[in-house]
Amino acid sequence: MSLFIGMSLGLLWGLLGHTLRQKTKLSLVAGSSWLTLFAALVLPRVFADGYVYALICTAVSYVTMSSVDRLEKLWETLVVSGICALLVFFGQNILVGIGGRLGTFAALSVFIITIPKAHKRLLRKE
Amino acid sequence: MCRHALILLPLVVAALELVRPLFDHGGSWVCLALIAIVFVLAPKRCNLDDWPRVLPSALISTGGTLATFLLANHLNLGPLVASAVVGLLGTTVFKEHNQLVWYLGAFVGMSSALRFPSLGLLITAGLLGGVLWEVLNETWNGVGGRLGTVAATAVLVVLLTFGGGL
Repeated sequence: MSLFIGMSLGLLWGLLGHTLRQKTKLSLVAGSSWLTLFAALVLPRVFADGYVYALICTAVSYVTMSSVDRLEKLWETLVVSGICALLVFFGQNILVGIGGRLGTFAALSVFIITIPKAHKRLLRKE
Repeated sequence: MCRHALILLPLVVAALELVRPLFDHGGSWVCLALIAIVFVLAPKRCNLDDWPRVLPSALISTGGTLATFLLANHLNLGPLVASAVVGLLGTTVFKEHNQLVWYLGAFVGMSSALRFPSLGLLITAGLLGGVLWEVLNETWNGVGGRLGTVAATAVLVVLLTFGGGL
């Protein structure tokens, strides 16, 4: 159940981040900071496992800092957000206390989608 | 190649944490060996043309680190709220490029006080974060989470080099 809620919130934050990036003139840092602040203040007060959900949403907010070249379409952002939610959920005991841990999970999630995409483009060129 | 090796350090450590039961304490030695190789190769292979930019970046990153760490641990805001507040503060003070460096510093400052019992090592990690930002410039450009990965690299290099317990 908590994984399902975490995934759902991750996808919602992915959608919010993508919308903020595409539709507003907020800087990357401002967009990510607002999403993180909202998650960290609201989710722990609403859910028993709220802190884990806040971690997931924070990592997803970092995913949405990707450039349009890397994550062009909404579905790409949502897929990466889902992967990121899974990584944070199952990787809670990895790199504990190390600053930048969530960003590392976010970058790994982005690569899972963008590396095959880049190779596909290269193959098409050849 | 050497830039990629350096920025991949957090992923290497994470992988070693996963397989730690197989290697006992060998993981730390693998990481130290990787750091040693990278720091021997880095000055030769990485073209850092703009050294004057390194010092301001290091200082801005350290500012973000200290602000986040103090807010998180001394005002008990927690790392998530602290980093968000510091990030928003940065957007009102700095322009785009420096906002990113400041936010990178905020990620370093999200480290646990158990990992950094003294501010000295934390400041070192903050400074290193700014230096790495310039050294690794253009590496993984446009990848969300790059700032966090650079921050984790800085933290891990400091902890593995000076201790702090991995």
